[in-house]
Amino acid sequence: MEENLPMGEKKLSCADVSKCFQLLESILDGENVPNSQAMLQEKLAKCEPCFKHFHLEQAIREVLKNKCTKHCVPNELIANIREKIQEIK
Amino acid sequence: MSEVQRKKYSEQEKNHVFDKEFMPHIDSMYNFAFRLTFDEDDAKDLVQDTYLKAYRFINSFEQGTNAKAWLFRILKNSFINDYRRKSKQPAKVDYQEVETYYNSDDVDYTSTTDLRVDAVKDMLGDEISNALNSLAVDFRTVIILADLEGFTYEEMAKILDIPIGTVRSRLHRARNLLKDQLRSYAKTMGYNTEDEEE
Ligand SMILES: [Zn+2]
Repeated sequence: MEENLPMGEKKLSCADVSKCFQLLESILDGENVPNSQAMLQEKLAKCEPCFKHFHLEQAIREVLKNKCTKHCVPNELIANIREKIQEIK
Repeated sequence: MSEVQRKKYSEQEKNHVFDKEFMPHIDSMYNFAFRLTFDEDDAKDLVQDTYLKAYRFINSFEQGTNAKAWLFRILKNSFINDYRRKSKQPAKVDYQEVETYYNSDDVDYTSTTDLRVDAVKDMLGDEISNALNSLAVDFRTVIILADLEGFTYEEMAKILDIPIGTVRSRLHRARNLLKDQLRSYAKTMGYNTEDEEE
């Protein structure tokens, strides 16, 4: 089934979801994966579940990184820390 | 991150390390503390305790190594040991429980999600933050460390004192739980999910 696919068509089921998804997630997490770019191109081009998983995981990471509410450090905190350190010096 | 006592710093060197290597991370530290405690005063206490401990144990910090990871590890330990104990907030899942139930590194990697990329990208900051905050503290922690603070698996393993395999599997589970939350937001927002067979 997985052989002889017409050009440009993706497999609808992934041969090894666990291995593929773990690999994709490691690449997205910036881990050192040998030969990662070539493998990534290959999987995204040929496997529909991998393609979908990659883009969803990528979107999740992007929104977390860019949209989570950031809290400002309260003004007095740094002064309090320095004061306490003077006391224990 | 070795606990070995290194050569002692002079008073001047201590101040230099503290100002140049520790203080620049106060923003990340405060945000980590806030996301663990959900309370401004608790977060301030936690950060202050962490910096005081960092100063007290400054001789075990090797200059030029990863100060941010070193500080995060102290903060996370202070949170577990000091803060969690006196916290009134009931932990949804305890660290210990999570270890017992989920410590296996085998993860079920299946593509069951019907969450759409567009729906995720259109989420508001509040929705993303609420989804993250709804996760049990262990799962929330790995997402904060990986996605908000950009730590590597290896750094996370050191900060959390767990094997890299456990970092990987816990992160995977955490993101799946987060996706469940986002999927339910997406549904209330009226996004069509990809297939409606559920
Ligand atoms: Zn695949």
